[in-house]
Amino acid sequence: MTASKTGGNQEAKLKKIMVDLLSRKIVDDVLVPMPQADKKSVMPALVAAMDDIDRAVFLGPSFLINTARMAARISHKPSGRKTAVWMRPCEVRAFKELVKLNQASDTEVLILSMDCAMAPDREAFDAYGQAHETDTRAWTAAVFPDPLASALEICGTCRACQSPQAADADIQVLLYGIDGGPVIRAGSPKGQAAMDLMTMVSEESPAARDTVVTALGRAGQEAFEVMALDTAQVTDSLEKLDTFFSRCINCYNCRTVCPVCYCRECVFNTDVFEHDPAQYHLWAAKQGTFRLPSDTLFFHLTRLAHMSHACVGCGQCSRACPSGIPVADLFSTVGRHIQKAFDYVPGKDTPPPFTAFNTDEYQDAVGIE
Amino acid sequence: MEKFEPVIVAFVCNWCTYTAADLAGTSRLSYPENIRLVRIMCTGMVDSQYVIKAFLEGADAVVVSGCHPGDCHYINGNYKARRRMKLLQEMLPLFGIQQQRIRLTWIGASDGIEFAQVMARFTDQIQRMGPLNPELKPEKITAGVS
Repeated sequence: MTASKTGGNQEAKLKKIMVDLLSRKIVDDVLVPMPQADKKSVMPALVAAMDDIDRAVFLGPSFLINTARMAARISHKPSGRKTAVWMRPCEVRAFKELVKLNQASDTEVLILSMDCAMAPDREAFDAYGQAHETDTRAWTAAVFPDPLASALEICGTCRACQSPQAADADIQVLLYGIDGGPVIRAGSPKGQAAMDLMTMVSEESPAARDTVVTALGRAGQEAFEVMALDTAQVTDSLEKLDTFFSRCINCYNCRTVCPVCYCRECVFNTDVFEHDPAQYHLWAAKQGTFRLPSDTLFFHLTRLAHMSHACVGCGQCSRACPSGIPVADLFSTVGRHIQKAFDYVPGKDTPPPFTAFNTDEYQDAVGIE
Repeated sequence: MEKFEPVIVAFVCNWCTYTAADLAGTSRLSYPENIRLVRIMCTGMVDSQYVIKAFLEGADAVVVSGCHPGDCHYINGNYKARRRMKLLQEMLPLFGIQQQRIRLTWIGASDGIEFAQVMARFTDQIQRMGPLNPELKPEKITAGVS
C-alpha cells in the first residue's frame, strides 16, 4: 500500500458521495472545501455543479475558517433548498450551538463529518502548501489511520482535542484505525434515509477504530491538561493577564472568526466605546499614562464571560491573531472550567446555560455570610 | 496604619433593594460609605461586563442585589442574574479575583434594616480581606481600562 494511493481513495470515495447526493437530488447543493486561486488555501464553497466536485478536497490540512459560520449563513432562514455540509467535528459542535441559539437551522441541512484530519498551525500549513499545494495525499497518509503516530506538525489546539472523532453528524466518515478507504456510518434517521437513497449500507465502527479513538481521547485529555496548567500559570492574576494580552491590537479578529460569537452587533463596536476625545485626555490626566487602544482586557474578559461556555475548541482565534497571542489556549481553558461548572457540553442537545434556569439552583452563588 | 477603605460597587434593583436602601435612608439607618449604589431596573439586566468593568476600574468588590426568588417584577430576571453571577464567581477567580468579592443577594423592598446590616457586614468582610490587589491600581493595568 502506498501513501498516495490510500489518500486518493479516501478523497475519491467522498467525492462520489457528494456527486451521488447531487445526482439523486437528495440535496440541491453541497458546502465543501474548495481550493483557492493561490493553490494552497482551501475555503468552504457552495457547489451546485456536479463537475466541480472533482476539485474539492475533503481531508487536507487547511482550516482557515470555522465552516459552522458559513453553514449558518446559508441556513438561518428557510430557502427551500437542501444542502449537504461537510464539517470537521468541532465545526459540527459549533453549528449545533448556533442551531440552539436560532442563528442557524438544520432542517434543510444534511451534516457530513469525519474522523478529523486535524490541522497544523499557520507556519506548518504554509510549509505544507509550499510543498504540496492543495494535494492532500501526503497529509492524509500521515494523519490516518492514527494521528498519534503522525510525523506531521499537528497544531497544539488539535492535539489537545478530546473529541476529534466523527460524531453527531447525519453521515459519518470513519477513518481512524482503518487502513484504506473510509467506513461510512449513518448517525441519524436523516442520514440513514440519505444513505438508503444512495443504496449505501451503514457500517459499524470497527474495533481497531475504537481503540484509536480511545487513545486519542486520552492523549487529548493529557495534552489539554498540560496546556491548561501552562495557561493558568501565565494568566492567574490580572497583572499576568495584562502581560498575556500586551501585544493585542484590538483588531477583534478572534471575535470575527469565533463560530459561537454570534451577536449581530457586538457592544465593543457600538457608540459605548466611541469615547469623546476629551474623555481620553481626562483619563490620561487622572492616571498619568493611558494606553491606546484601550479596553483590551475589558474586551477579552467580556468575551470570555459571554461565550466561553460554548467554546468548541476549534482554535481559530489563535490562527487569526496577527500578534501571535495563544488566544485559544486561554479561551478553551476557561471554557472547559465554565462548562464543568454548568455541566454543559457544547454541541449536545441540552439548552445553553444562559438561555435557561431552574428556580432552586446554585444556592451557593447567593448570600453574604 | 490607616484603615483600608474598600470601594464596593452595588448594583441594586429598582423594585426591591433600591427601595430597601431608600427605606434605610428615610429610617435614618446608616450604612458604610464604601458602598456605591448603582440603581438598575432588574438584576437580570446586569450583564457580566458591568461587573468586569467595575473590577477593572478599581472596585475591591461587587454586589448585585435584587428581589427574592419569586418576587421579580419581571417574573424571572433574578433567576437569570443568579446564573450570571455563578458564571462570574467561577470565571473571575481564575484571574485572581476571589469569589468572596463577587456576591449576589436578595433584599426585599421592606427590608431597610436588613439592607443596612448586610452592607455593613459585606464592607467589614472586604475590609478584612484587604484590597483586591495592593499593587494593582487601574493605572497599572496598561491594557486594562478606559
